[in-house]
Amino acid sequence: MPAHRPAFPPSSPCRRPAPRGRWRAAIGAALLGLAAAAPAAAQAPLPTIALDARLRDDAGIRLGDTIAIAATPDGPARRMVVAAFARRTADPSEVARAEYKVRLHLADLQALLAYGDRVDRFAVVTRDSGATDRVVAGINARAFGFRAHRSRDIAVETGRTFAVINRFHRAIGVITILASAIFLLCIMLLRVEERRREVATLRLIGLSRRTVVRAILVEATAIAVLGAALGTGLGWAVSQVVNRYYQGLYRTPLVFSLVTGEVVALAVALSAGLGVGAGWLAARRVVGRPPLALLGR
Amino acid sequence: MRVALAVASLARHRTRTALAVAGIAVASAMLLDMVMLSSGMRLSFRELLDTRGYQVRLSPKGTLPFATEATVGDAAALVAAARAQPGVAVVAPNLGAQLVAPRGDGAVTVAALGVEAGVQGDYALREGRDAAAGELVASPAALAALGRRVGDTVSLGTGWDPQLRAFRELAPRRIVGVGRFYFLGADQPVVAMPLADLQATADGARRDRISSAMVRLAPGAEPAAVARALAAALPRVSVLTTADAVAQADERVAYFRNLAFILGSVSLAVGFLLVTTLMTVSVNERIGEIAVQRALGVQARRIVQQVVAEGLALSVAGGLLGLGLGLVTARYLDAILGDFPGLPPDIAFFVFQPRDAGTAMGLLVVAGTLAGILPSWRAARLPIAATLREEAVA
Amino acid sequence: MTPPGTLMLEAVEIHRDYAMAGDAVHALRGLSLAVHEGDYVAIVGPSGCGKSTLLSLLGALDRPTRGAVRHRGRDVARLDDRAATDFRLRSVGFVFQRFHLLPMLTAAENVALPMAEAGVPPRERRARAAELLAYVGLGARTAHRPTQLSGGEQQRVAIARALANRPALVLADEPTGELDARTGTEIIQLFDRLNRDGTTLVVVTHDEELARAARRVVHMKDGAIVRDERLRD
Repeated sequence: MPAHRPAFPPSSPCRRPAPRGRWRAAIGAALLGLAAAAPAAAQAPLPTIALDARLRDDAGIRLGDTIAIAATPDGPARRMVVAAFARRTADPSEVARAEYKVRLHLADLQALLAYGDRVDRFAVVTRDSGATDRVVAGINARAFGFRAHRSRDIAVETGRTFAVINRFHRAIGVITILASAIFLLCIMLLRVEERRREVATLRLIGLSRRTVVRAILVEATAIAVLGAALGTGLGWAVSQVVNRYYQGLYRTPLVFSLVTGEVVALAVALSAGLGVGAGWLAARRVVGRPPLALLGR
Repeated sequence: MRVALAVASLARHRTRTALAVAGIAVASAMLLDMVMLSSGMRLSFRELLDTRGYQVRLSPKGTLPFATEATVGDAAALVAAARAQPGVAVVAPNLGAQLVAPRGDGAVTVAALGVEAGVQGDYALREGRDAAAGELVASPAALAALGRRVGDTVSLGTGWDPQLRAFRELAPRRIVGVGRFYFLGADQPVVAMPLADLQATADGARRDRISSAMVRLAPGAEPAAVARALAAALPRVSVLTTADAVAQADERVAYFRNLAFILGSVSLAVGFLLVTTLMTVSVNERIGEIAVQRALGVQARRIVQQVVAEGLALSVAGGLLGLGLGLVTARYLDAILGDFPGLPPDIAFFVFQPRDAGTAMGLLVVAGTLAGILPSWRAARLPIAATLREEAVA
Repeated sequence: MTPPGTLMLEAVEIHRDYAMAGDAVHALRGLSLAVHEGDYVAIVGPSGCGKSTLLSLLGALDRPTRGAVRHRGRDVARLDDRAATDFRLRSVGFVFQRFHLLPMLTAAENVALPMAEAGVPPRERRARAAELLAYVGLGARTAHRPTQLSGGEQQRVAIARALANRPALVLADEPTGELDARTGTEIIQLFDRLNRDGTTLVVVTHDEELARAARRVVHMKDGAIVRDERLRD
């Protein structure tokens, strides 16, 4: 993975340092159009290429078409046959990137770019996760001019963009929770105060403060739990809409919003907790006043 | 007297009123932030692009400036042709590349910009002077990465082979200035040098090539018209006005705009619900008083006015508080988003414009007014005699 | 004995029916009543006989199911809401059993409320409110809120409020119902003074002392007048 690769804003007129992966630039600059398939008999078979599925949709290219591809806009082109279309992966770092991705056989790309017998990186699959550390250490001990990294360490490093987005979402979440807490407290207060005459009557006929608070709490809990359940359902529905919308907008299979058990548990705990807490506060406030005062005397 | 009655009604239940105002304040703060977010990036990006007054950008055909490694050849002819176009005042070509400097056993990679000092629009000098041949201006991050200061010499080159630990070419350059680079992240090591110097590296592969050019128009020239003329005259390049670039960037940050719209709508709905609930309960509690006022001869529409005024007062009070709160939270949220790697330092997500405050307050006023309408209509319609009777029994 | 003054208010064959749990309740059954200017009428009868319903109709707070309610010849039962409200503002003063003062306003502000609605300028209504409160014996309590006043004082403020726009007619529904005997007597004396000063009064009451203080007592039962006796001119 190239160093110093900012993921945002992607592909805007803002600059970023040119990455070592030259093949991206080559593809982005160099699709020159279609060429009719030449009679095959007199020629060696053309190399094959897998194109971005979006190219099929946007440029109308089909399987078996022959295209000309070059490293630079004015450089020499090579003809290749479209053998496959590849969908984008659910890679968050690619979401907002507009450039098309293509896949060539390594040797073909090396030849196209006059790269020689060079690569940018190797990916290594180990037998099991336990072997990974040994492999990394072993390679680095023998490496001359390159280093091995665990994929997860690179993910952390290149995931800074999403760490920022996570923090942003969390901040928005905190503000929303604060607003909800105040809203709930206000509503519960209104509800309980609206029934202060009933509360006064109950107190006057001999029910204790504790009994009245408990009765109010039961109501508040029922409302809070029902609200939490409804909100969870609504959140799930909105999550579906969000995913469908953004998957269509960015043409990616990436899942943008995920409702997990943990998320549901947190949401329910928070909303029900806040609702019950607000109900308790409101109840304490109203039973704290003398019954006759509640009746306006 | 209606206003006095409205204020007195609100003051009767201070805790409740204070809570409602607080709730509306938080909702309106969020609303203001979302209004700022919805247009902030666009505004900030436009301002960035217009820094130094360059309204049009040229890049290799089919690419966006510096979005790829693509360069365009015969640059001198291209730039000359661009300069000859009517309406063009200045053309600032630039070339982007990576250079490597030896540091200890390894090497440090820096982004290099080749520019023409007299017309460049890529950086502002903070210290020192512009670079002449064999010199360079560095960003603070580059100085830190290279372990150098202004006045030092650093060797930069290409063709670094990490296995052989050798450079194909290496040339010493003197650091003569510190620059604040507009279009690159503050934490990115960047150096700027004369365009000809950078074109001479990489064994001539970059000779007479540029990555992009920025164009400043003559006073009165219309950007779209000049862009069309340039596009017709220079078929090897893509031509982008600031408006085009902003529109393209807009697509990329659609997520934030959508988020702003959704959260803004939710905030408005919350504020509306709060006011409507409060006014409904308030009216229910005062149904007897309202019946008496109607019995005394107060017209129904005056009752409506009073209740709507109360709702409006809550919204306005909460909204004004929320403005201040919103500016504080906007700074906080902007600081979070400013951590995006590679984000140019001048890009902001939350940009305050007085118009935004007006929009947020306007929306709140409308919501507050509407929120009071249903409960007030109910209040105005109650049967007077029956209500008085019920209130007497109660 | 001759009735005082010209005809001010008359109810003509009024009926008022309510639908309740599928059945019709006939609160008033073809009742007719005439009230002349300067008169002081007490309406008495057992609970549920329709006294308060009659008062509501006389004050255009409600509409009869059938019949007419004429105020100086004008049928107020047929007025739209706006006109009926204006009638109540300018032509009638109401006094309620439970005072119904607005708790967040001072005594003076409560009295001034109908004047503000009638468009009286602030200075004038402040002066008149002070004058009216002095008239009812509360000249020193103008700045007090209802919670700071006794029941009797609150009812006095309510009476002052009823007189705010100089109505010729004051309708009172159990004005001494929430008061002790001594305070009730004070209110009765105030009503007597109002009537002597020219205000026409129609009072619904269970209070025998208040009924005896009136010039005329109308006895109701089951939605109809059963006896109408003039006690004095």
